[in-house]
Amino acid sequence: MQPEIHFDRSWCEALDKRINQDGPWANWEMYKLAYEAEKQLAVPAFSGLVAPNHLPDLDVLPHQLEAARTVIEDMHGKAILADEVGLGKTIEAGLIMKEYLIRGLAKKILVLVPASLVLQWTKELNEKFYIPAVPQKKAYVWEACDVVISSIDTAKRAPHADIVLRQDYDLVVIDEAHKLKNHKTKNYQFARQIKKKFCLLLTATPIQNRLDELYYLVTLLKPGYLGDAESFFKDYRSGKNRVKNEEKLRRLINKVMVRNRRADTGLNWPKRHVQSIEISLTAEERAMYEALSTLKNAEFVEGFSLLTLQREACSSREALYVTIKRMLDRHTAPRLRDLLTSIIEKIQAVKTNSKAEKALEIIRRANDKVIIFTEYRATQLYLQWFLKQHGITSVPFRGGFKRSKKDWMRTLFEKNAQVLIATEAGGEGINLQFCHHIINYDLPWNPMRIEQRIGRIHRLGQKHDVHIYNFSTKNTIEEHILRMLYDKIRLFENVIGELEEILTRLDIKQIDREIADIFESSDSDGEIRIKMDNLASVILAEKEALKLDETGSDS
Amino acid sequence: MKQEAIHSYLENFFRASGCDILDLRPRFIKVKLTIEMDKKLMNRPFYWHYVEKIGARPETQTLAFKTDPAGEEGEFVHFGSPRLHHIFSLSKELGRYVRLYENARSNGGNLPLYPWLGLNFKISFQCDLKRDELMSLGINLFNGTIVKAFQETVEALPLSPKIPDYCYTLAPMIKPLSAVNRLFAVIEAFIHRQDDAWALEAREKLRNDLELLERFYEDMEGDAYRDAFEKERDALMEQYKPRIHVSIINGGLFYLTGTAF
Repeated sequence: MQPEIHFDRSWCEALDKRINQDGPWANWEMYKLAYEAEKQLAVPAFSGLVAPNHLPDLDVLPHQLEAARTVIEDMHGKAILADEVGLGKTIEAGLIMKEYLIRGLAKKILVLVPASLVLQWTKELNEKFYIPAVPQKKAYVWEACDVVISSIDTAKRAPHADIVLRQDYDLVVIDEAHKLKNHKTKNYQFARQIKKKFCLLLTATPIQNRLDELYYLVTLLKPGYLGDAESFFKDYRSGKNRVKNEEKLRRLINKVMVRNRRADTGLNWPKRHVQSIEISLTAEERAMYEALSTLKNAEFVEGFSLLTLQREACSSREALYVTIKRMLDRHTAPRLRDLLTSIIEKIQAVKTNSKAEKALEIIRRANDKVIIFTEYRATQLYLQWFLKQHGITSVPFRGGFKRSKKDWMRTLFEKNAQVLIATEAGGEGINLQFCHHIINYDLPWNPMRIEQRIGRIHRLGQKHDVHIYNFSTKNTIEEHILRMLYDKIRLFENVIGELEEILTRLDIKQIDREIADIFESSDSDGEIRIKMDNLASVILAEKEALKLDETGSDS
Repeated sequence: MKQEAIHSYLENFFRASGCDILDLRPRFIKVKLTIEMDKKLMNRPFYWHYVEKIGARPETQTLAFKTDPAGEEGEFVHFGSPRLHHIFSLSKELGRYVRLYENARSNGGNLPLYPWLGLNFKISFQCDLKRDELMSLGINLFNGTIVKAFQETVEALPLSPKIPDYCYTLAPMIKPLSAVNRLFAVIEAFIHRQDDAWALEAREKLRNDLELLERFYEDMEGDAYRDAFEKERDALMEQYKPRIHVSIINGGLFYLTGTAF
């Protein structure tokens, strides 16, 4: 039996009026164009996706199209998107959103993402999908705008929470949904209370072997689908944290979750060749580095840490000089000024830069485009000058550049220069895939930053293998970092995204902070080594566990 | 929609809206907007408020569009671009009602024109999925004859907004509003002839999910749980409940010769 039919009579009301007043009447051409527009916009069938026709310049991969189709047709618009990192969950979510908007099945959409990603999501939805998404900045936006992006922390607070919970959302998208794993948190409770017709939960961590995370995420999506908590855990948990009746559980979960793996996508991922390059300091550079330890017991340090100075000394004398000069300008204590002045003398004695020489050698050998990443502006300027002395063209790149300047620098690099010298990864959307060599001139302590750097060139679509050179100076703090993060864990030889998964699982938010703590609280090199080894083994263990999870769920 | 079709749609739209076409080449069009189109397309209310307040001579904007992404000048327009969708919705807004006369030539003597009501319908079938169907129907207001594909037929006729010389219109025997109802009845009969498997499936999905939800909340007591249950139940109804929506895209009065149909 066909359901109830609703006839919209709003057209008729104005007809009588126009007949009585003799118009106004449309011209015949416009009338035909109106009908033609509807013909173009009508969706001809229940199944299939129409969104790709609206997005001619978006590169959609087959697994992303299939994910969007599955979510809409087989999962009825309620799904967990759990692709491995780097496969484009955002693209899948955008496609689904677009499809629902075009079909008129969704109008009011709420996208909850971590605060740091609000602008990026806004930009992607607007620029890639032509979805007029608005970041929530003022309270009126909740009601006035149809597609709103916000952080869950903002949304759950007064006065926003009441307004959000009053809305009837057609679609709610939650990014990084694994953060909602604890059902007792305010965030989880809030997410549950939002009224949602369709719902997408995006998560990067493989959750299928973590029973309670799995249970509460699915229950957020479809309450009752896995039954009540007690009987669920009775049926599927064995012992403390093992899964039983795995096959049955998997069948159940596969009806609400899409998980693409790199290996299944059939895409060719280029290789990463990672080389650690140890560099010996010259006698003058060594003297400059060692002189810093005279500051160890000086009771000055507010605002400056010895570690910072040491890292700068590993980068360039210019980087160190800037900070020492600033300290000199700020402090009047005679003893400290004496120490600083003698350091400046040591800086002035340095005539060469061993790292720069090495970089030059690699650039010449590569005979190809190279990106150099450094942490310091002063080093960046120095390198530009240094390369120019040797007849190598380079362009600078900084985070503070406006978007248009970033694009301009990228074009200059592609067309006119051999080297790009960058102080940061340059943000999303700057595509540098025409380059296949990266020199990490100084090593950041947070491995995610390295991953982001590499991600600029090693991503979907890169056709060549990429070469990564990690510099570290012998017998300095850099060496510890290199040993742990780069040699021991071999983090950057992993496939794209694995590191992010590992760190998310470990919940190490500020790994650089952890490392700084190790340096600052240790009295000897031996102690540093032991503590760094500990940290390394924690990360390694998680890496193994991740592998187990993934193979476990493949079987 | 192919790029060529988009190009001719743009050309037709700007001609129909009375804008000056400054340059027209394959895959490129440049137009000078009329005041009305500038107001509707450019979203600059402050400018218009200012111009009208001080009585200055308004300067409307010039727009250039390309349908070839590699073209040098102009804004690239494709099927997904917000500009095209804006133009689509403007044509729907501006092309809702017509009154036209067949441009018939009389062979001496006065020629009668029959009054017709022509309507273009959109029928949407919606559950958690959706599809649309368009249908054009016409009804002769003089004798009640109903025809299908009305729009396609009249598009082939010479039509004019003014009554041609030596023609006169026959008085309608059926009022427009009751004619609309007769056409709605035709649509309803058409809908009942359609396959209803989609609605049955949707009801089944709804029943299953409602059962799970009810069982889940069965043993929970208290107002908070009842509210949560009701909210989620309503969301499920909205998600799956099959419904059909019929709307009129546009329509109007057509005065046609006896041989038109």
